[in-house]
Amino acid sequence: MRKSFQSAAKTIRNLMSRKGVVFSVIFLGALSFLAIFADILGFDYLTQNLIESLQPPSAEYWFGTDELGRDILSRVVYGTRTSLVTSAGAVTIAAVLGVPIGLVAGFFGGWRDAVLMRVVDVMLALPAILFAMALIAILGKGQMAAMIAVGITGIPSFARITRAQVLSLRNRDFVTAVEAFGGSATYSMFRTILPNSWSPIVVQAIVLASVAILLEAALSFLGMGVAPPTPSWGEMLRTGKSYLYEAPYYAVLPGIILTLTILSFDTIGRAMTDFLEGRHELGDHSSVDAESEK
Amino acid sequence: MNSTGTNALRHAVKKSNTDAVLSVRDLTVSFLTNGKQVPVVRGIDLDVFANEVHCIVGESGSGKSVTSLAVTGLLPVTATVSGSVRLDGVEVIGADEEVLRNMRGQDVGFIFQDPATTLNPVMRVGRQITEGQVVHGQLKASAASDRAAELMAEVDIADPKGRVTQYPHQFSGGMRQRAVIAMAMSGRPNLIVADEPTTALDVTVQAQVLSVLLQRQKALGSAIILITHDLGVVAEVADRVSVMYGGSIVETGTVQDIFDRPCHPYTAALLRSVPRIDAGDDRLKTIPGQPPTPAELPSGCVFHPRCALGAGKTRCQTERPQLRAFASGQMTACHFAEEMKPDRPSTTARAIAQAERAEVKPLLEVDNIKVHFPVKKGILRRTVGWVRAVDGVRLSVRPGETVSLVGESGCGKTTFARAIMGLLDVNEGDVRFDGRSIVGLSRKAMRPVRRQMQYVFQDPYSSLNPVLSAADIVAEPMRLHGLFEEMGSDKRIAELFEMVGLSPSMMGKYPSEFSGGQKQRLGIARTLGLKPKLLILDEPVAALDVSIQAQILNLLQDLQRELDLGFLFISHNLSVVRHISDRVAVMYLGKMVEEGACNEIYENAAHPYTLSLLSAAPISNPGMRNQRARIILRGDIPNPASPPSGCRFHPRCFRATDICRSQVPELATQSSLKTTSICHHAGPLDPKEIALASQAEGGI
Amino acid sequence: MISYLIRRILQLVPVLLVASVAIWAMLYAVPGGPVAMIVGQDASQEQIDAATRELGLDRPLIVQYADWVGNAVSGDLGKSIFSKEPVVKLIGQRLPATIQLAVFSLLIALIISIPIAIISALNPGTWIDRVLSSWSALALAVPTFWLGILLVLLFAVELRWLPSASRYIPFWTAPLDAMRNTFLPALTLGVYVSGILARFLRASLVGELRSDYVRTARSKGLPERQIVGGHIMRNALIPFVTIVGLMLANFLGGSVVTEVVFTYPGLGRLLVQAISTRDYPLIQGIILVIIVIFMLINLAVDMLYAYIDPRIEHK
Repeated sequence: MRKSFQSAAKTIRNLMSRKGVVFSVIFLGALSFLAIFADILGFDYLTQNLIESLQPPSAEYWFGTDELGRDILSRVVYGTRTSLVTSAGAVTIAAVLGVPIGLVAGFFGGWRDAVLMRVVDVMLALPAILFAMALIAILGKGQMAAMIAVGITGIPSFARITRAQVLSLRNRDFVTAVEAFGGSATYSMFRTILPNSWSPIVVQAIVLASVAILLEAALSFLGMGVAPPTPSWGEMLRTGKSYLYEAPYYAVLPGIILTLTILSFDTIGRAMTDFLEGRHELGDHSSVDAESEK
Repeated sequence: MNSTGTNALRHAVKKSNTDAVLSVRDLTVSFLTNGKQVPVVRGIDLDVFANEVHCIVGESGSGKSVTSLAVTGLLPVTATVSGSVRLDGVEVIGADEEVLRNMRGQDVGFIFQDPATTLNPVMRVGRQITEGQVVHGQLKASAASDRAAELMAEVDIADPKGRVTQYPHQFSGGMRQRAVIAMAMSGRPNLIVADEPTTALDVTVQAQVLSVLLQRQKALGSAIILITHDLGVVAEVADRVSVMYGGSIVETGTVQDIFDRPCHPYTAALLRSVPRIDAGDDRLKTIPGQPPTPAELPSGCVFHPRCALGAGKTRCQTERPQLRAFASGQMTACHFAEEMKPDRPSTTARAIAQAERAEVKPLLEVDNIKVHFPVKKGILRRTVGWVRAVDGVRLSVRPGETVSLVGESGCGKTTFARAIMGLLDVNEGDVRFDGRSIVGLSRKAMRPVRRQMQYVFQDPYSSLNPVLSAADIVAEPMRLHGLFEEMGSDKRIAELFEMVGLSPSMMGKYPSEFSGGQKQRLGIARTLGLKPKLLILDEPVAALDVSIQAQILNLLQDLQRELDLGFLFISHNLSVVRHISDRVAVMYLGKMVEEGACNEIYENAAHPYTLSLLSAAPISNPGMRNQRARIILRGDIPNPASPPSGCRFHPRCFRATDICRSQVPELATQSSLKTTSICHHAGPLDPKEIALASQAEGGI
Repeated sequence: MISYLIRRILQLVPVLLVASVAIWAMLYAVPGGPVAMIVGQDASQEQIDAATRELGLDRPLIVQYADWVGNAVSGDLGKSIFSKEPVVKLIGQRLPATIQLAVFSLLIALIISIPIAIISALNPGTWIDRVLSSWSALALAVPTFWLGILLVLLFAVELRWLPSASRYIPFWTAPLDAMRNTFLPALTLGVYVSGILARFLRASLVGELRSDYVRTARSKGLPERQIVGGHIMRNALIPFVTIVGLMLANFLGGSVVTEVVFTYPGLGRLLVQAISTRDYPLIQGIILVIIVIFMLINLAVDMLYAYIDPRIEHK
């Protein structure tokens, strides 16, 4: 336990040495802060003011107002809530279902692997957005449905990454050693392999968070996600698109926040991947320096 | 530079030139690591002449590979280089990239360590061999294919015309390395740099490759720099030797001088710490501590913390010794070289109480076991054949005894070991532990047996769980058997740490904080927790540096004596096996071919494969080089999925007759022979046979 | 090679089987089931019974499934509830538009990504690498529907160079008009995919650059240009081909959002319409067709891979 704490602290120190990661963390932090304390901070996304509809950005309405005269900034802030909650829920669903699938398939192999991976293949035979749409067609529209649909589309990536990790560890000597000492399959799987597999799974969760945000926004954009009046970024872009001539900022400004959010998650995820892979590379590199013997 | 005129001129100059082909002065290389300049090569001088093989020998971190790359500016951009390197009189350091490029392939050729990755996997081998020559304008593109075939023929690749259009994966390891030699020599360079060219290869293949390398060098008159950690290879091929330690050359001289009268304490200690194939010795003299890492070099003489001669001398701790002339042709970098006492390695054979052992009931008896893996092919993945990884091995191990299983890669020795541990299914035959059959036992029924029988892995880096602390790693087997408290908990762990020579203060550390040798000690400590009777040791020292290897071997011998452990020792290293074994079994392609008392196997072997293996293994004694009979086996180890008919060794055997092709030989003990062998023509080596065997190979 | 091909095709069978069951079962997962779909939620019991008999829903499920698959295989995917037209015909009208968009997008993605990847891989860690890598990150982060909106704002609203709504004009009938209409959606999709491709190709080039065989090539005195062109590209392009194939497969279904932004008459927009009108036979038909195309492209990519990689034995 102490080891994972140490290495986590080290990872974070390393990641924070990158400027992009620092910006991303600050941005996501600020956004989450606003979303959590939106009520206290006095954001109002519901009050309509038809006289002041489609106003350009001003001191009073930083992002302007929408077709019903509602404050776009407030709607963006509350949209953050929708977006982050949906994506967190989706990632959880994907991880809770995907990781065990990968673990069992990779560890036992044979028919379990064949069956589970065929199911995963089927899920991958349809682009995520279509898969999510097909699920919405069954589940109906709404935030919960969007969360479940996006979550299910994320299962294959968790299953595959976990399986790959298990396969790469399965024949490592320290796993064989446990077997040689008389450890059971459950022990090997949960006490030896899983604790060595967390890093890529966590990275995958972060990468998937950005995918989930994008998917949720896309579904809402298509009118299949979160239903109005609940604010959502995708829904705002959908409506904003109708007012491109009158109020271009309507579609542009929420889009910037959406893009920056996705970019931030991606930056953090990529830095973590680099760091994980870099550990091997670093090893290789120093052994080039100190010459490789074996 | 590219015109044939200048090329001809350069070759003319080369012939009349008695100067060094390569002349290195005060070469320094450092790498920028974590914002710090870390010196890896620290001011070395080196001269290499035409027609000579100059070996640079050292352990990991000594800077020998970096030196070789620096010779033609092949170092990564993170390296800072200073000093002077003159190749054929042309300065390399600071030279224009274009000048360097023209040198590479024309003036200097490279042979790298791992033939599996040296060649481009998606380019035809023939093209890769001649590509350099074509680029340098020495060869027309249209003639490249014929030239490639010619070069391949020169390095004894059969069917060179057919091989030219093949890809690297269609070549065996030894063949690939010979193709790399052909490539390095294609431009007829004056200098060949070979970086551990045979480290990744089996003994018999190593012998082939070295012989081809030397043969081509004689034909071209080039100089060779051969970088290696293997003193046996040095003794076999070197004319002159430079010993590197901690980024410096500590001693240089002729191969005979280095081995007979080393004039640096490190060289002397290194020679003492290597087990010898030509004499069984009782105990290895180790060098204490670890080789230094470039990031943390000791002050003064880098070797002083490990040096017996320099112990307590302040000069060694403060003043860095320079390489100075010691005797004619021999130089040393030791302040007190004159005080060194000449010592011959002790050759007191270790006592083997064979007769006494025979009385004791065997701990492990393996009766003709077979382990076969299915080969699946076709649309329905049906089993179309079997890989006979282990196809009949019998041996037994008694308490306190070391039985070694020797063989080259793919002979099935690791499969054998894992099958005995119950990690793989045994198809046929029986394994008895303490008189009880353990074949086909369930996981549960196997558990009590696993307490008694433990496994030490080859690679200490991958055999320890990286997320567990050292203490948890050692405790894990005891916890798995629910005996941690009973065995004495933390006190027991501390005891085990001390038993394997680790400080109990390291208990809280993680595997990544241990060095290779320490990790292997940890791996051994963990097996001892449950007080086993038998250890299966799968190449336990193969991944370690020479000086560390000796420490671990000594540790194993001490533990055996103390705890009366039986060892089943798996290895490809004939010297190590001779050093540690009481009895030896030799495996080839899944079958045991010969078995006997250790000394008898080494002195009186009767199976042609054992004889070839012993003959191919390098001996750390340059004096023996020309007196020794060499059998160079042809070809590579066949695929175990389709082994040859009759005796599996017959296609490579110098004694093979018709009967060998058709009939599988039986185990036979002949009263005239000192070992048990499975061969139609078992018998000691007749000198005439060597001549015959060599002739068949075209001689060396 | 033939055996490999047959094995790969046989591997598709279970996937197709599971997928078809899932798609077929979709109807039954809908609240009210397939009957409600025909007669509406408030139908009387008689209406429901009549429809059940008419649709053959009183038969065992396995028979119903077999019937549905049999029809699908013979090219009958039923009729659209909304337009009463055969589903196959509706899909047939839209598919060419989607294919044209996919091909255009892929070309744009390749044109953008290959130079970016090569330049940044050859100059790792420099400012130019950082700038070009940021391009990939940005291209991936910008949602296609937002990028589409921005492009419409710029090219249609501000500059008035291109239409804001794209029609489908087959390329061979009027190439210029076709390009004018397909350019914006193709650019939108192409930018996104260029991010994926550039990132992938850069990573594989960087990996190859570190390989031992590159050091070998240098040690032979090959010029850097030849090392990159002759040795590295050969290795890096093999996996790249796979990714490009996958992207093409993804375009065929994944252009939904882009098609909606530009009101482009492709398969994706048909699906969105079908879902909003709860036109289940049409939804099923479109998804089935997309899955089959996706698998065929994957199969083709695998074949190509086996063909261009000499390490894969093909007898």
